[in-house]
Amino acid sequence: MIPKLIDPQSVAVVGASTKPGSVGYVILENLVTRFKGEVYPVNPKYDEVELWGRRIKFYKSLSEVKDPVDVVVIATPAPTVPKILEEAGMKGVKAAIIISSGFAEAGNAELENWVKAVAKQYGVRVLGPNCIGIYNAYTNFDTVFLPADRAGRPPPGPLALISQSGAVAAAIMDWAARRRLGLGLLANYGNKADVTEVELLEAFAADHRVKVITVYVEGFKYPGEARRFLETARKIVPKKPIVAYKAGRGGAAQRAVKSHTAAMAGTYEMYRGLFQQAGVVEASSVREMFDMAKALATQPTPRGRRVLVVSDSGGMGIQAVDALEALGLEVPEVPESIARELKRELLPFAAVSNPIDVTGSATDEHYKIVLDALLPTAFFDMALIVTLMQVPGLTKNLAKYVIDSKRYGKPIAVVNFGGSELVQRFEEELEDQGIPVYPTPDRAAKALWALYKYGEVKRRL
Amino acid sequence: MTHPIVAKAAAEGRGKLREDEALALLKAYGIPTPEYAVARDEEEAVRAAEQIGYPVAAKIVSPQIVHKTDVGGVILGIADPQGVREACRRLGEVVKRVPYAELEGVLIQKMVPKGVELIVGAVYDEIFGHVVAFGLGGIFTELYKDISMRIAPIDEQDAVEMIREVKAYKLLTGFRGMPPRDVPAVVDILIKFSRLVEDNPEIREADLNPVIALEEGKGAYVVDARFILQI
Repeated sequence: MIPKLIDPQSVAVVGASTKPGSVGYVILENLVTRFKGEVYPVNPKYDEVELWGRRIKFYKSLSEVKDPVDVVVIATPAPTVPKILEEAGMKGVKAAIIISSGFAEAGNAELENWVKAVAKQYGVRVLGPNCIGIYNAYTNFDTVFLPADRAGRPPPGPLALISQSGAVAAAIMDWAARRRLGLGLLANYGNKADVTEVELLEAFAADHRVKVITVYVEGFKYPGEARRFLETARKIVPKKPIVAYKAGRGGAAQRAVKSHTAAMAGTYEMYRGLFQQAGVVEASSVREMFDMAKALATQPTPRGRRVLVVSDSGGMGIQAVDALEALGLEVPEVPESIARELKRELLPFAAVSNPIDVTGSATDEHYKIVLDALLPTAFFDMALIVTLMQVPGLTKNLAKYVIDSKRYGKPIAVVNFGGSELVQRFEEELEDQGIPVYPTPDRAAKALWALYKYGEVKRRL
Repeated sequence: MTHPIVAKAAAEGRGKLREDEALALLKAYGIPTPEYAVARDEEEAVRAAEQIGYPVAAKIVSPQIVHKTDVGGVILGIADPQGVREACRRLGEVVKRVPYAELEGVLIQKMVPKGVELIVGAVYDEIFGHVVAFGLGGIFTELYKDISMRIAPIDEQDAVEMIREVKAYKLLTGFRGMPPRDVPAVVDILIKFSRLVEDNPEIREADLNPVIALEEGKGAYVVDARFILQI
């Protein structure tokens, strides 16, 4: 039933509203104007309303909707929720998303238990309560009650996010939308009365449109959950990478987690151990999680840890080496024979060992010479390419050479920093063609490390 | 499947295994411990030491004393019968100084040669279940939180990774001219210990401290163990 929850064909919205800005209004607008399935607004206050240039028919109650419904979205005051859920159950609906708050998180555990009991009795799977629910960019099934002009909607793509926090999830959506990062599926489970992150993991793993699953977690809630997470993740990871960020690591942060999630939660060291054991790649911030996910979604798995660094700035090359080595990756020297050849073809003052410095006087061709000479050889497993486009010799055509290097079947990450239109266009072209771009060497290095780490995990499991 | 040693202590309402019970439990799971015997008086202690062979250590066996070392309840490097007798008398004095403590006996244990000291532990967490922890002994482990953890039970790969994960791992591979240590023996202890805690849900907390890793091929031994039970 979880697939119906995240990827329904038809949806009823109980608590749909015509009052601009209200939760029931935004959800209705999302679904009526963008969702690729059937929408049934339910609110006894309205009959037919003209909205968004359409005539919209409202239903008095769920039972008035005669067509079958895959999922019911409930956005009514908390005390009314159990009855509505019961009506959904009697109608034969198998999945519900409860947006409403005012349950266990507000000290009202009894009401939440009532919801659980109804869900169990009718076999309805419930996401929430107290959540933003689902954003599905593939079909525009979207229960996020924040209007799109405040919380942008990312384009469909290979990444998926499971977030314990609704606000963090919405912020990530907005951020991803501006960067045109393909975040295809997002789920927030709120109080987790029924459907858990482990079940969402399973569902995302089974979805062929998703290539990488990211997880934002503050703390588990129920006994035995860590073990279930471990077993599920271990099954998924050989086929699909999981990147996780655990917030709340010690002291005051852990206290905050306790009150925020009502979770009893083990220590941070336990989570760290769990991720290692499960083969989950651990990130230390939301930004880093997506830096890694972007690379994992587009790049092949490296065979080893040896990185070729090419730069038009000696300083950036050195920074890249620092970052790579600190992460346990290697920057081996270029074999003597190839170095001699490079010396002939590059500028006289270029550095040809590794990091390779094509210098600020370099042209696009110089990058091409280095990549073609070294990336196909057995001496390197991946490449970190620094392209500071501010120098006069480089053009947008360099993007083509970098993209062409994909044919060598090795991971590539590009560092590109600046603000000019050329820099932006260059970056867009690379990203559109599946080359991840980062503003600083340390971020690119961490992304390559994630690829290496995932390779290790795959070799082990 | 709870082991009879744990079941007996739990049935008697004891929240902690006795020293000799703890060592016997480890032995039952095939975890190496130095040879030992519990003596009730000086003469028995001397006989035990003669049989085990010098040098030996003498340790207080008292249900009321949790941290033996802190009260002077551990005497190391005893080389002859005279030393054993002296140790017994000193341990008797120690027990008198600790309020309400009773001396049930003296544990005579074979001394393990010098090696790298490790800590292996376990805690029970409601959400994680039994979690096994590994670290190198000494204050730096605590200072830098240099420990690795895994959910029990663990397999060989998990154990190897746990050991490699700690920053102090270099001390096991031969640092500054020190000989490399018997890592496979430590892996074996971790796997067996994780099975031990998994089998005995009554265990809330366990510390094997120290575990001494000897040179390659010479094994690793648990010298002292503490088990706290849920009663």
